[in-house]
Amino acid sequence: MRACADGAAAPAGDDTVVVPVARRNLLAEKGRFAMSVGGVAFAVLLVLIVVGLYRGWSGAGSVYSRLPGELWVAQTGTTDPFHSTSLVPAGREARLARLPGVVAALPVYARHLAFTAPGGGRVDTYAMAIEAPRGLSLPAEARRYFPAPGHVVIDRVLAGELGAGAGDRLDVLGRRVVVDPPTSGGNKIVQFSFFNPAEGAALLGEPGRVSYYLLVTSRGADLDAVGRAAVAAVPRSEAHTGAEFSSAFSRLVSSGFLSVVGVLVGIGFVVGGAVIALTTYTATVEKARDFGVLKAVGAPASFLYRIVVWQSVAVGLTGSLLGIAVSAAVADRIGRSVPEFVTELRALDVLGVFVAALATSVVASFVPVRRLDRIDPAMVFRA
Amino acid sequence: MTGEPLLRARGLTKVFGTGRTQVTAVAGVDLDVGPGEIVLVMGPSGSGKTTLLTMIGCLLRPTSGRIEIDGLDVTALPPREQPRVRRTLVGFVFQTFNLLDTLSAQENVEVALNIGGVKGEAAARRARALLEDAGLGGRLHFPAHALSAGERQRVAIARALANDPPLLLADEPTANLDTRHGRDVMALLRRLAHRQRSAAVVVSHDERLRAIADRVLRLEDGRVTRVEGATAARRLPVRHPVRAS
Repeated sequence: MRACADGAAAPAGDDTVVVPVARRNLLAEKGRFAMSVGGVAFAVLLVLIVVGLYRGWSGAGSVYSRLPGELWVAQTGTTDPFHSTSLVPAGREARLARLPGVVAALPVYARHLAFTAPGGGRVDTYAMAIEAPRGLSLPAEARRYFPAPGHVVIDRVLAGELGAGAGDRLDVLGRRVVVDPPTSGGNKIVQFSFFNPAEGAALLGEPGRVSYYLLVTSRGADLDAVGRAAVAAVPRSEAHTGAEFSSAFSRLVSSGFLSVVGVLVGIGFVVGGAVIALTTYTATVEKARDFGVLKAVGAPASFLYRIVVWQSVAVGLTGSLLGIAVSAAVADRIGRSVPEFVTELRALDVLGVFVAALATSVVASFVPVRRLDRIDPAMVFRA
Repeated sequence: MTGEPLLRARGLTKVFGTGRTQVTAVAGVDLDVGPGEIVLVMGPSGSGKTTLLTMIGCLLRPTSGRIEIDGLDVTALPPREQPRVRRTLVGFVFQTFNLLDTLSAQENVEVALNIGGVKGEAAARRARALLEDAGLGGRLHFPAHALSAGERQRVAIARALANDPPLLLADEPTANLDTRHGRDVMALLRRLAHRQRSAAVVVSHDERLRAIADRVLRLEDGRVTRVEGATAARRLPVRHPVRAS
């Protein structure tokens, strides 16, 4: 007896021709392949831009982590800067500055208010005015939050909405301020503006009160201990870290947009997966006779599945890479021309979408694999 | 035939449908084919030739009867084992060649080798040798669709023999070939089958194929009506090597 069927190992792995068969099946219709790759790229673009917008908007609260201070002393019951008003007694900064671990205590005036645009429209903003710390050198990034008296710092999104640029004058609560060169950042949900404390007290309109105290602490200070001491020094107050205020903004964005983002991301993956499944399915149906031949000459199911999965992954991989490249270009281009279109493409998000797209392409191959199972190898005897 | 048969079929029967639509395509066929022997199955259309071939090739389960290939009772194997039988014990040659048009001649043979477990450079070497033996040394990298009908059928024969199967099954192998190419293909089939000591069952209407057959079975209405011991095979000169056309 010659080589017996029994025990003949089914081939696996480094088949010489799996890739050529798959590649040529896929490229037999170059137009269809291009449209499929385009469809996947579009789905990846949709997902990445939506996720990027979400990240960009969520990140707007990071201004609290860029300001020169770590602890915010606020009125008791303050949930976050956007949903509650905080008023604490003025004149406690000297006492706070003497607390162990505190380098400086900065009175902060903050409230929502509206600018009157040069064209007459009104635009809401979250305004802050912070006393500059004396005797401390600030990093360049933080100095922009401390404009000179009579000036206001606004970001490009707000500048765009107001139609104002550097040197323009804006009216706010009956006062006139000069616009400093607009800064980067800002988004469509909340736009920050920064005044000099000289305007801040008047804009807040609460004599004898400030909104917060921002405490600059020494390196290695125990923030919990400093917070407890600060609360004891200011009646009816509580302490929050900058990170807490920053994440409060992220929560605000999440509560309004996360479900929408989830739906759009889901739609993106469904569209991408459907495109891949349809392409691979069509390629499989068109080459049904070839698959029949392979079955007839004894190809195990795994050999055929590898061809189909390779095709799916090739479409997913090519489309994903194209989608990522296009997303980066689109985010950059639109971000320049439409400032409120704030996107932040994080490497981990991009990697996650890429891996998810590849996983989707593997899942999408199940559709043609089922079709493959139904091919009768005896069909090859029909002329 | 001398010695143990490589193919032994007993009482092979295939019935399609039930009740009034029931058709018996093959009825109680017995067949033994020994090493290096070529059996030609002839008969009119609808006589059950292709059904017989697909059953022997483990592509169709017989209604009853038994098939042994190289001593293995393939009718007793579960369906999931049938592909393993086809890739190790059987080589197919089809009427319409059934090459993968997007692949080259060499890749078409490598497919069968890969499926049989031969990979990489070993598969490439074996494929080249088979194709050179078939007179296609100058066509190794031609896409299948760019080959002539005769060349394509020779690639198909090389593919069928790639894994050195004990049994070769050919369905109308000359039906789509002109006289000259048909003769070349017949000669190649005979030479390679004899050299590899494979048993071959060839189904055809083509009377020319008598020239390479050791025996001829006449099939009518699914039954063997006549068996001819053909000595005509000797009349066909075996050319070596067959040149590419």
